[in-house]
Amino acid sequence: MKRVGGGGARTPHIAALADDHHPREPLKTNPPTLAAPDRQLVVRLAVSRALGRTRDLDDVYGAALDTLADCLGVSRASFLLFDPDGVMRFKASRGLSGEYRTAVEGHSPWTPDSVDAVPLLVPDVSREPSLHGYLPAFAQERIAALAFIPLVSLGRVIGKFMLYYDSPHTFDDEEVELAAVIAAAVAFAVERGRTEEAANRSDELRAPATSAAGVETWEWVAPAATEHDDRPDGLPSGTLRQVRHRPLETNGECLKILDLDGRLIFVNRAGLERLGVASSDQLLHRRWAELWGEKDRDVIEQAVAQAKAGGIARFQRPCRRPDGVMKWWDVVVSPIVDASGGVVQLLAVSHDVSAPWKADAFQAGQHQVLEMIATGAPLAEVLTLLAHVIEDRCEGQKCSVLLLDGDGVRLGAAPSLSEDYVARLVGQAAGSPVGSWGGVMQPGRPVVVADIASDVQWERLRDAALASGLRACWSTPILSSQKTVLGSFAMYCDTSRGPTRDELRLVETAADLAGAAIDHHRSREALRQSEQRNRAILRAIPDWMFVMSAEGVFVDCHVKNPDALLVPPEAFLGKSTRDVLPRALADAYERAFARALTTDEPERFEYSLEMQHEERYFEACIVRCDSDTLLSIVRDLTDAKRAELEVAAQRHELAHLNRVLILAEQSGALAHELSQPLVAILANAQAARRLLDRTPPDIAELRETMDDVVRSGKRAATIIHRLRDLLKKSSVDLQPLDVNEVAREVLDLTRSDLLLRRMAITTELSPAIPPVLGDRVQLQQVLLNLVLNACDAMSTVEPAERELRLTTVVDDRFVQIAVADRGIGIPDGQLEAVFDPFVTHREQGLGLGLAISRSIVQAHQGRIQAENNSDRGATFRCFLPLANGGAESVAGRAD
Amino acid sequence: MTREDRLNLAIVDDDEDVRLALRRLLRSLGHDVQLFASAEAYEDRPAAVDCLIVDLRLPGLNGFELRDRLRVRGCLIPIVFITGDGGPSPADATAHADTPSLAKPFSDSDLLAAIARAVSVSAGLQ
Repeated sequence: MKRVGGGGARTPHIAALADDHHPREPLKTNPPTLAAPDRQLVVRLAVSRALGRTRDLDDVYGAALDTLADCLGVSRASFLLFDPDGVMRFKASRGLSGEYRTAVEGHSPWTPDSVDAVPLLVPDVSREPSLHGYLPAFAQERIAALAFIPLVSLGRVIGKFMLYYDSPHTFDDEEVELAAVIAAAVAFAVERGRTEEAANRSDELRAPATSAAGVETWEWVAPAATEHDDRPDGLPSGTLRQVRHRPLETNGECLKILDLDGRLIFVNRAGLERLGVASSDQLLHRRWAELWGEKDRDVIEQAVAQAKAGGIARFQRPCRRPDGVMKWWDVVVSPIVDASGGVVQLLAVSHDVSAPWKADAFQAGQHQVLEMIATGAPLAEVLTLLAHVIEDRCEGQKCSVLLLDGDGVRLGAAPSLSEDYVARLVGQAAGSPVGSWGGVMQPGRPVVVADIASDVQWERLRDAALASGLRACWSTPILSSQKTVLGSFAMYCDTSRGPTRDELRLVETAADLAGAAIDHHRSREALRQSEQRNRAILRAIPDWMFVMSAEGVFVDCHVKNPDALLVPPEAFLGKSTRDVLPRALADAYERAFARALTTDEPERFEYSLEMQHEERYFEACIVRCDSDTLLSIVRDLTDAKRAELEVAAQRHELAHLNRVLILAEQSGALAHELSQPLVAILANAQAARRLLDRTPPDIAELRETMDDVVRSGKRAATIIHRLRDLLKKSSVDLQPLDVNEVAREVLDLTRSDLLLRRMAITTELSPAIPPVLGDRVQLQQVLLNLVLNACDAMSTVEPAERELRLTTVVDDRFVQIAVADRGIGIPDGQLEAVFDPFVTHREQGLGLGLAISRSIVQAHQGRIQAENNSDRGATFRCFLPLANGGAESVAGRAD
Repeated sequence: MTREDRLNLAIVDDDEDVRLALRRLLRSLGHDVQLFASAEAYEDRPAAVDCLIVDLRLPGLNGFELRDRLRVRGCLIPIVFITGDGGPSPADATAHADTPSLAKPFSDSDLLAAIARAVSVSAGLQ
């Protein structure tokens, strides 16, 4: 197919056509659910159905235009054919005025000699210089765009379709391809119709000469049993119970009388014509059945046997006339009985019932093939039927379909060829070009081998072919809708000759149908495989899948283990999440649906449900399928979650152990911290006691003293609370925290220890640090670990040089807490390893401090890193996301 | 309390609550009390007192160091150490056998007894 403006060489007067000004629009999808081979098939069936109803050529033209209108939605179209003088003439049209037809009649981009014609598309007639002369006619008729679709038979243009549009029209490949499919079917039908009409005309011309001006009638009379003289009309004597009146010259009915062996003993003149013989001499005494096609002989013999037994047999079979036209005969075979009722002869009356097109076996066969394709019959069956349909139509020829399969060749169908030959053919063709196969495959053109005995290509297959009685082979490539070679269709003949035009057309039509069958089969196969693949994938996926409407109604589901669902499928399909799930969960789903519908991104969330008295954990992932369908993929995370919880529990234990160890280490310092307020309380209380003994008691001093007692008591209480928090195994409690406050608390706790260790502390806490979301105890633990680690690193350093610097600063969306020391630093290559468990340079503890600190920080969606300072010592930096910085949740899995 | 019983005392402790409470207690017992927040602060303005009450754990110079520096300078002022973490280590205890130390928290009688002991030991040495 060519878009106008492409290869203009063959169509010089339309070479200037160009649609460059019309950028292509997206392909129309019509209907959107069908793949291209399916749509083509639908159109083929429609054409076949429409043509099957036609009675003559005029009907064909009308049916063609109707099909165009139905399949392409084109309301205005016309159908033209070259007349014998090579002038394009309107044969039928829809929606065109007589004036217009007159104005443009005769115009054609092609001549009867044009070969390889392709559709020509004119998206906008005003931009097409070669059509300028017709612009007034177009304007009058309100035609803004049009298409020329050639009707091609045996490579030659015989006519065209025209499609007309009211406004400029961008053609998509699909509609042009469908138009070409219709054109091919119609061209074939037109050619056959013409052959038929020509044959009928010759019948009509011959009829008066053979049938005595239509007045001759046959009258069957019952002669007396004793009458032996031959009748002047040559009818043998006999006893007939039936009397018939038939005008022979118009209905072409032919009469034969057979003996009880089924041999012809009389044929009337119409019968002689049908059989293509001048005189009955060469027919008489031959078996009637031999005159029929090989496949039909059984039918004939059966009918003869039935009549011989006294019954009346009736059958309908096709038989070719000498001019090549296949006719469909309705045959009644009845017994001729003598006076005693014994059957003496048989009468066969053949009535031509092949009213043009109607009961045409070929047309019907073609339609049957198309229907088989459409209903998805196995490819081998379709191709076998196709071969039969073609073989039925041309007596004696045998057909084969070879399929290109990857690099190899395999048999499509060859129902009438011998098994031996087929085996040789497929075996040989698979290897190298042999027979007509190589020729067909290479140039993609029909190959006619008129004499297999002398053709060089047939050297290797020759003996096998000749042994099977094959003398000539005509083949043509089977092309896909994309014009790739799918295989070949071959017709074998038992005499060495070339094909008739009709036979070539048949081969062409067969290849076309075979192409449609294979295309369709492959697209179905591809679909089936992808469906199988999808099903296999679905089977393999343990996840539950729910197809949901945008309103949250369960439409469909894929669940391997329905028992594990909260509610069985039959109880939730057709219902909404709100009816089925707990309120809070349904809300979560609805929010996710809404987000997935607007963002087009997968929406994930986790939840837990109590099912069968245990808590089960799930993750739902919601994706949008189309504007009002969602897919909800639910994964059971319970096992993973339990494993995670177990790990978290172990971490929790270790973290607690770490804190206990820290506090054990710090017990001296802590005792000191705690004893300070107690000293103050005790001293104040005893002082107060004495103040009371005085007379008069100094009330003001007493009040001040008691205030101090209270303050110190509170101070002691605070320390005890902190200790208890650090010592107890509490669950994670995420709150917005002021990092500076956490830092101060840690320094308070360690103050006396740091004093004892003679650590100089410098703090640089940035004011107004936004809160982080975290667990106070956990973050205290991290800082405690970092501070103690820094102290340990400086234990061997001169006291005057010991300096611990604690800084907090906002760093992008994080708070950075840095603890710098001036100690021994971290050995090369150990910057990461220091966070591994049980890596320690400390004398005390298990070496868990940094490992636990890292897991805590990570659980807060943060990170922790170590680096050596440029001069001396190391700095540990801990980054925690700001509570309002987009990090919504802190997975509190570590403790 | 007689005038002779009235002692002039100094407290060196970095914890203000402790300082103020001890002063109130000792004053209620009739003694004069001066307060210092660190060893350095006392060294800067060494007051002639009957007894020093010194927290062992101090920022900068700790209690032992303050005593050693006083002794090196020939100042034999009686000293009572107060400690928050169970007293000095065994090594410290041996090295500073002449200096009584008092574990926090303590009662008024303990404190007075320790002061009395320090003063008497000091007097004995002198």
